[in-house]
Amino acid sequence: MKFLGLILKSARRSKRRTALTVLSVAIAIFLFASLRAVLDGFNAATEASSATRIVTQRSTSLFFSMPTSHADLIRNTPGVQDLTWASWFGGIYKDPQNFFAQFAVEPESYLRLYPEIQLTPAERAAFLEDRTGCIVGDGLAKRYGFKVGDKMTLRVGIPTYGTQDFDFNIRAIYHSAGAAVDNQSMMFHWKYADERSLRKGQVGWYVAQISNPDRAAQIAGDIDRKFANSPNETKTETEQAFQSSFVSMFGNLNLLLGSIMVAVVISTLFVSANTMAMSVRERTTEIAVMRTLGFQSGTVFLLIAGEALLMSLIGGALGVLLARAIVNPDFLQAGTFVPELRVHASNLAVALSLSAVIGVLAGAIPATMASRLKIVDALRRIA
Amino acid sequence: MGLIASYNLRSMTVRKGTAAMTAGGIAMVVAVFVMTLAIAQGFRATLVASGSPQNAIVLRKGATAETLSAVPRTDVPLVETLPQVARGADRKPLASPELLVAIALPRISDSQPANVPARGVGPQAFDVRDTLKIVEGRRFAPGTREINVGRLAVGRFKGLTLGSDVTFGNATWHVVGIFTAEDASFESEVWGDVDLMMPAFQRTGYQSITVKLAAPSMFDSFKAAVEADPRLYLAPEREQVYYADQSKAMTTVIRVFGTFVTLILSVGAMFGAMNTMYAAVAYRTREIGTLRALGFSQLRIVTAFLVESIALALVGGVIGCILALPVHGLSTGTTNFASFSEVAFKFRITPALLAGGLLFAGLMGAAGGLLPAIRAARIPVARALREI
Repeated sequence: MKFLGLILKSARRSKRRTALTVLSVAIAIFLFASLRAVLDGFNAATEASSATRIVTQRSTSLFFSMPTSHADLIRNTPGVQDLTWASWFGGIYKDPQNFFAQFAVEPESYLRLYPEIQLTPAERAAFLEDRTGCIVGDGLAKRYGFKVGDKMTLRVGIPTYGTQDFDFNIRAIYHSAGAAVDNQSMMFHWKYADERSLRKGQVGWYVAQISNPDRAAQIAGDIDRKFANSPNETKTETEQAFQSSFVSMFGNLNLLLGSIMVAVVISTLFVSANTMAMSVRERTTEIAVMRTLGFQSGTVFLLIAGEALLMSLIGGALGVLLARAIVNPDFLQAGTFVPELRVHASNLAVALSLSAVIGVLAGAIPATMASRLKIVDALRRIA
Repeated sequence: MGLIASYNLRSMTVRKGTAAMTAGGIAMVVAVFVMTLAIAQGFRATLVASGSPQNAIVLRKGATAETLSAVPRTDVPLVETLPQVARGADRKPLASPELLVAIALPRISDSQPANVPARGVGPQAFDVRDTLKIVEGRRFAPGTREINVGRLAVGRFKGLTLGSDVTFGNATWHVVGIFTAEDASFESEVWGDVDLMMPAFQRTGYQSITVKLAAPSMFDSFKAAVEADPRLYLAPEREQVYYADQSKAMTTVIRVFGTFVTLILSVGAMFGAMNTMYAAVAYRTREIGTLRALGFSQLRIVTAFLVESIALALVGGVIGCILALPVHGLSTGTTNFASFSEVAFKFRITPALLAGGLLFAGLMGAAGGLLPAIRAARIPVARALREI
């Protein structure tokens, strides 16, 4: 610690160079933390999914519906405590560009099964009473400026729902208490959609509440066996599997973002190692003098490595602060397919330690060079 | 020019380590730039290749995608008998009423279920889309539960190899042929007889009709004819325009993302280049003073150092392009959100993209080198010569 003053002094020797290096590390760490936030955002729903909810869909694919008569058969399956259902509505709000999820849900049971959707008792009652009522997430409300009491009209997107526009009353703006439910969706009464549907009594998927998560696979199998060889065969899976199939739709995000992050780190490593090497070369004579005065080669090594580490850490801290300020839902509207982005604390820790690693690696070679310097040669050299 | 070639470019090789690391930093940026844009290029090219200039796709008015469209069965004879529609050797109109649905099949790579596009087509489909070639087996026979599978789908999803049986839509289908389509998105699809797929998927109508026109120029009169018929609530679109629009949302997302990431990253690399050039100028203060004393103008010095910086960055750019090249042709997949099913495509690095990468590197070099170059030119001659 007693050398901190000396390290700071040498870092200030070329202010411009130090500033440029710190900034390039800051930018790299900012990028790293932001990209991590994107990955976290995509995986959040999967990670937060409830172990006591299982989802039943048509075995052909999610885009096929099944009759409401499945409901009783699923409800009667041993281990199933509660049941709700939903359909994808796919309506268009003013312009096809304004994409957000709209679910036609069986309202009472849906709110029961998804305690993540937080409403006040008054809002809840208002939504349940109004056949054309709907609730919207606070994120969505912010995006389009929706307020409670507003009217919203959706154009039909999927031909099954006829040709007439759907009018809704916004009865509540919900907050999401867990990433399993995002705050960018709209939910309304399934009955309203069914009335106008060309095929009546159709459901997109069922969500069952089970008492014992350990029996999920067995219950799922029991449900699917009930519909085997019927015209509407089903596939039941845990909510986690259901969510992760959505993430995998984007393709191999982990690989893509991961390789970009590696490139970011390597590129920064080049830049900062280069700077440190330059500054050591410039100080050759100085270091020789210090060694003559009695500084051990180990100390010289620590001084140089410490300087690299310090610059890198300052850059890292700047980078994470920047990421924290910019990549957060209050500032950035990611929209459409991307979930809410937020830089988590764990992510900050990873990014900061990464900047330390960059510092150590960038400092290692120049510091070794400096500590191995032959005093006589170095003193004889001029520039 | 002489000064640049003999002095600056040779000086660059003196500090090999420094130059290499600066170029390395820039190389990584260019590699990321080229790779992410190669995804956008590949995705777009795959969808655009699906459209032929001679074809038109007919959807319900207002529908932006096949999956959001509905075409009643009774409309088909009205559309296909229009005079603008080309006729095959047997005088039958070259029109294919179609249905596109997503079926869940596990991926080979991670066994996760993916949405595979299944297309029910009419008997003329292979003549309407003449880029399709059966490379193994034969075409499916109309009226049977036989299917053909695109080459890329065979490699991505389980159970689609030639001769195997696949179960979807409460029926078992037999794979009798594998086809290619000149890298178009059809290569990710499963094709079967539309009149058998419709009941299997509990549908009562088609979604679209794709027709081959007698000549590409006939599109306008075809469109006018369809719109003039009061019985038809349909809107024709050029097939190429339709598929290009389908790729737009995804391509824009990737482009914006790629550009955003590389721009930020490039600022970091530019700082690196700036550091290197400042150091280069500092080392060579005396030399610069000498050059100025010999009569080289300030402008010459600025240009010379700027060119040195750009040359250094271009070396990095070339390395970056070379680093990115191996991904060319790699195939990957993502969801086409217009049809909500998975499309396989290949990373596509075009000469224009490489040129873009080099230009980008050059700009980084110029931006990073400008201030140090100006500093070099501003050094007072007398003081520079005195420096040791």
